Amino acid sequence: MSARFRLGMSLAQACQDLGYKGEIGYQTFLYSNEPEIRSLLMFLVEKLPRESAETSDQPAGKSVLLQKAIADQIKAQLAVPWLPPTCRLPIQCKTQSRGPCHRFSSQPLSVPYSLKVPQNKQSKEVTEYYRDFLPAATAQPSQPISVPASLLELHASELSAAQEWESEWNSQGLLSRLTPEEYRSRKRSRLQRRIEEQLRAAAQPRPDAQGAQRSTSDLAELLQSFGGASAGGDILTKGTRFTHTEKFTFTQEPEKSVQQMAAAASSLPSSRQSEEDLRVQQQEEIAALQQQLHQLAVQMEEVGGDIRHLTTSINQMSEELKELEKSNTENEELVRVKKQTIDLLPDGENNLEKLQNLVEASVMRLDNLKAQWEKHKAPLLEEQRRLKELCSNQEVESTRMLAEIKELHDKIRQSAEEAKKKEALYKQLLTEYEKLPKDVSRSAYTMRILEIVGNIKKQKEEITKILSDTKELQKEINSLTGKLDRTFAVTDELVFKDAKKDESVRKSYKYLAALHENCTQLIQTIEDTGTIMREIRDLEEQIETENSKKTITNLEKILEDYKAIRQENATLAAKIKEA
Amino acid sequence: MELSESVQKGLQYLADPVHFDLKTFTAFTEVAFQSLISSRSECGLDDPQLKDIDQTILKHCHIATTTFILESVKQNADKSAISSCLEDSFDTDRIDVFYSSYQHHKRTLENLLESIGRSPPHITDVLWRLDYCIKNSHVHKVNQPSYLISLHVENDDSGGPPKEVNFNCTMEQLQDLVGKMKDAAKSLEKATQS
Repeated sequence: MSARFRLGMSLAQACQDLGYKGEIGYQTFLYSNEPEIRSLLMFLVEKLPRESAETSDQPAGKSVLLQKAIADQIKAQLAVPWLPPTCRLPIQCKTQSRGPCHRFSSQPLSVPYSLKVPQNKQSKEVTEYYRDFLPAATAQPSQPISVPASLLELHASELSAAQEWESEWNSQGLLSRLTPEEYRSRKRSRLQRRIEEQLRAAAQPRPDAQGAQRSTSDLAELLQSFGGASAGGDILTKGTRFTHTEKFTFTQEPEKSVQQMAAAASSLPSSRQSEEDLRVQQQEEIAALQQQLHQLAVQMEEVGGDIRHLTTSINQMSEELKELEKSNTENEELVRVKKQTIDLLPDGENNLEKLQNLVEASVMRLDNLKAQWEKHKAPLLEEQRRLKELCSNQEVESTRMLAEIKELHDKIRQSAEEAKKKEALYKQLLTEYEKLPKDVSRSAYTMRILEIVGNIKKQKEEITKILSDTKELQKEINSLTGKLDRTFAVTDELVFKDAKKDESVRKSYKYLAALHENCTQLIQTIEDTGTIMREIRDLEEQIETENSKKTITNLEKILEDYKAIRQENATLAAKIKEA
Repeated sequence: MELSESVQKGLQYLADPVHFDLKTFTAFTEVAFQSLISSRSECGLDDPQLKDIDQTILKHCHIATTTFILESVKQNADKSAISSCLEDSFDTDRIDVFYSSYQHHKRTLENLLESIGRSPPHITDVLWRLDYCIKNSHVHKVNQPSYLISLHVENDDSGGPPKEVNFNCTMEQLQDLVGKMKDAAKSLEKATQS
């Protein structure tokens, strides 16, 4: 019971927090009556968030439009009754059975243009191929049914590639300050280098494995082809290992083939011999060849080692040679100076003086030059500083411009999107407007409005009629009362005058007074009855409303609840006592 | 409708009066539509009216036009959408020529595109039988109903005679099936009202 009471209190509190103006408390929920709950519910419903109103203002997206179209289609198809296959007209075949179906199977198409190479740079053979031999796109797939799939796939892939490039260019390319071509080529070379590194790492030769030779040479060729494609293929010349192995395989292959040819030729005449001999011979041959191969491989290893050895020694030798040449020239220089000194020795004094003069002149010249240099240096330094500043300024400017460009890009995209959205909204509204029924004209509405207005007018007239009637009645009553009063006064006077003279008249006067009194009483009573009747009616109405409030049952309920609470209290008290 | 760069380039060639005058343009559009529709694997680019045009450009235009047609049909493009795509390079005469053949072939092309994909078979009829199992060799008392359902389906893929799908189920499974079907029907109804 107490839990119910608390719940009712909290509910009432919540409603009041929402801003409910009316009277509310726990009794509203526990002992409810119709009008109160009704008003409360109306208030709460009004408070509900209105989603539909908000969404109707928003421009409907593509998906909403599509859903609407789908809904229309489904509605149209649901309206068509099902027919057995034999009774179908061709037009109904469309909706009730779809005819033969095929999987979405696309094939790569070769196209008469290249996305990477501009048209005027294509080689002559390629253009010739495009012109004379390339079949049209719809004739390329092996089955005609995969033509649409292939075309759609081609288009989608081109579109997505363009989009990806666009987004990459906007996010990274613009910041790198390169032209698109430079950016592309740089990216390509970066990728190539990474692939090369990976392949190199994977192609570390394993001397024990026989297949290693072959695979490394394959990889070497691959790398070579990369080098041929890229402009900076000189990296590969450093990879001596690969070039060596490649050389071996290339030089050995002709030899091998010659040997094989010879072996085959020698085996030809013996074909007439018996099978047994042939097999034995073949096996021998195979063994011999394998041995030979093995020998050759060993030889090759040796030779390779020798060559490596020799190359290193050649390198060493050339280094030594260079060093020797250097020391040689140094020695020659030394010898020349010494020779000059020896030449100058005989006339020592003179020559010393000359030399002194020479040295002094040189010093002076050096000073002179230094001064000149200083003179030149200052403006040059100034110039350098200025240029540096200019450069940094330009850098700042260009970053600013880049930011602006980016902003503009964003703005352009936003505006385009907005325009698209607006257009879609316009279209949608247009279709909705067209869909709206046109036959509901204004006249019908105006007619109805006019009717309602007429009704109201009639009612008003009636009300005024009744009011005037009441007024007239009131007036009549008033005039009658006045008349009565006046006549009574006159009669009273007359009778009073006569009553002094005559005894019987006096009696009649008394009667008259009594009559008057009684009549007034009567009127009073009638009026009282009217008011009482009115009161009764009011009270009846009140009783009705009270009845509708289910007061009795509510009271009963309250009584029961009261009892329950008392019982609870009693049990609680008992528990306390027990404890 | 978004078009890739190469398609736009091809359409520009097509719009250029140096390569195509109005007559060859009309012939070429017809050839492009026919090459999509016809089941034979010839393309019709050897049409005598198209002899004088550079074959490379012709092939490029052919790919661009067929792609454009397929995209328009895929998007269910109306006249305004098509002309907004083409009006940058095409003049109104050519747009009209293109649009009239587009309308003429649209239904067929839609069928062509619809035929890509798979659809589950249609159920056209159902037969059922109620069995009541009293006992079996393992259990003495079973007392359970079981239903044998046979659905007649119309299979569109093969176009062959109607087939049957047979299965056996308990009462709960059947109730589940019926409930799911009712759900499906209801959600279809709901989809029409949105």
